[in-house]
Amino acid sequence: MALVRSEFRKVTTTKVLLWLTIATVAFSALNVVLLVFLTPRAMDASTDVNFLLDPAYVTNILGAAGSSSIFILILGIIGMTGEYRHMTITSTFLVTPKRPRVLIAKGIAYALLGAALGLIAFASSFVVTLIALSREAHAPIDAIIALQILGGVVLAFAIYAIVGVSVGALIRIQVAAVVGALVWVLIFEALITVFVDWIGKWLPGGALDAVLQTTNVTGRGGEDILPTAAGVIVLIGYAVLFGTLASLTTLRRDIT
Amino acid sequence: MFGKVQAVSDLSFKVQPGRVTGFLGPNGSGKTTTLRCLLGLVQPTSGSARVGEHDYRELSHPATVVGAALEASGFHPGRTARGHLQVITDAAALPAARADEVLALVGLTEAAGRKVGGFSLGMRQRLALAAALVGDPGVLILDEPANGLDPEGIAWLRSFLRARAQEGRTVLVSSHVLSEVQQTVDDVVIISKGKLIQTGTLDELTGTGISKVRVRTPKAEVLRLALTAVTEHDIESSIEIVSENEILVIGIEAAKIGHIALREHVELHELTPVGNDLEALFLDLTAGGNPGGAA
Repeated sequence: MALVRSEFRKVTTTKVLLWLTIATVAFSALNVVLLVFLTPRAMDASTDVNFLLDPAYVTNILGAAGSSSIFILILGIIGMTGEYRHMTITSTFLVTPKRPRVLIAKGIAYALLGAALGLIAFASSFVVTLIALSREAHAPIDAIIALQILGGVVLAFAIYAIVGVSVGALIRIQVAAVVGALVWVLIFEALITVFVDWIGKWLPGGALDAVLQTTNVTGRGGEDILPTAAGVIVLIGYAVLFGTLASLTTLRRDIT
Repeated sequence: MFGKVQAVSDLSFKVQPGRVTGFLGPNGSGKTTTLRCLLGLVQPTSGSARVGEHDYRELSHPATVVGAALEASGFHPGRTARGHLQVITDAAALPAARADEVLALVGLTEAAGRKVGGFSLGMRQRLALAAALVGDPGVLILDEPANGLDPEGIAWLRSFLRARAQEGRTVLVSSHVLSEVQQTVDDVVIISKGKLIQTGTLDELTGTGISKVRVRTPKAEVLRLALTAVTEHDIESSIEIVSENEILVIGIEAAKIGHIALREHVELHELTPVGNDLEALFLDLTAGGNPGGAA
């Protein structure tokens, strides 16, 4: 637990957590605004369709917080690669020479941070949803579904943060890891899904969608995702896979 | 307690507690690699590096056994000095208040709440020393701690390391400039090209040379003749005439020169042992280690 506390100290004594929290809150809110106001509505002269009357669409709005998951991935990546970038890894490994312990402590700390940010992201999007819908005709907000979405976001963000830490341990160069992860999640997975549609749901972004049970991240449809429980297992699998690979390779490298 | 190092190429030496040991060699001679092997940061290709009886990586509370200051660059620029140390106290399961104690010890109390990004090189060196002391370890391993320090800083470091050794700690200080640590160290370990060149006390090292004394006197010629009577019987001693009123006496101690001068009623204006040129001796010992490396 001392190591987990140290990881919390590391992340709270720099600015990166603050900025990514702001980004998460803002992006979650922004997504709600876009979903509510840039959608066909009955009062719009050009259409007689009103998406806001569709319960599935309202569910989608409530799940907007899930789109902030990318910031959680980046938080985990920076948490690990920052140690190499600023060479604080030297003092980290001097205090804790058994290196996999550092990785595990970071995983635990960032999972908790991810969960907290999931809660914050959901709160942000939920409050903005209530405000945005207050003057609109809309399908009712189902409290049970809202709670399910909250649970999904918290769980997804917690696991995604660990994935970020593991990726950062494997690709120690910060810029490469962040850019690589963004390109993978935002471009590569969407592309590969177009060509080989069955593979998408097994990839990290697809598994994340399964945990979130929304289509926000990579634009996949509801039928193309795994059941939530399977998504959780696949996503944890990726975190463990990357972390284990790192422990066997990059984590063992000489610190010079 | 002592630290024993085996690394680079069959490099083996002992470091005594209560003394400051200089670990010397030109740049690229393997000092840093040796220290990093010892601290579990670099994996030796064969053999092992141990601190006392244990592999560093097997220590359950390494911060309380060995404190290391390896380089001044290992700080997050946005973190405060106190924050940097508390990251370590947390990981080592030490009270967070220990951070302020060690900051006081290195004279950084006033900078405790400032971000390390704005620190001078000297302040970073002090912070690195503070980090090494957090666990109150019996062994201190410092890699080039005098780098980037001004003369005042070096003087401070000297008394600081002396005090730590007097507390009974084992202090190992690496440097590529002997003169930098000459007045600090008790023992020296000199390596070159990853091999041990010489080990022993500093006195033993300096004892291998011959004394030189600079003498200024208006009666240089009279004194020279008087001293020649002595040098004639000793092939290791000689007299160099530097100028009209200055001579350099090699192989005769200052006290004896003074005595002879008094006997001959020669007025002296200066009688200064110039000592051995340790730096030259160091360069001689490590010659061929790394061309041009011993700056």
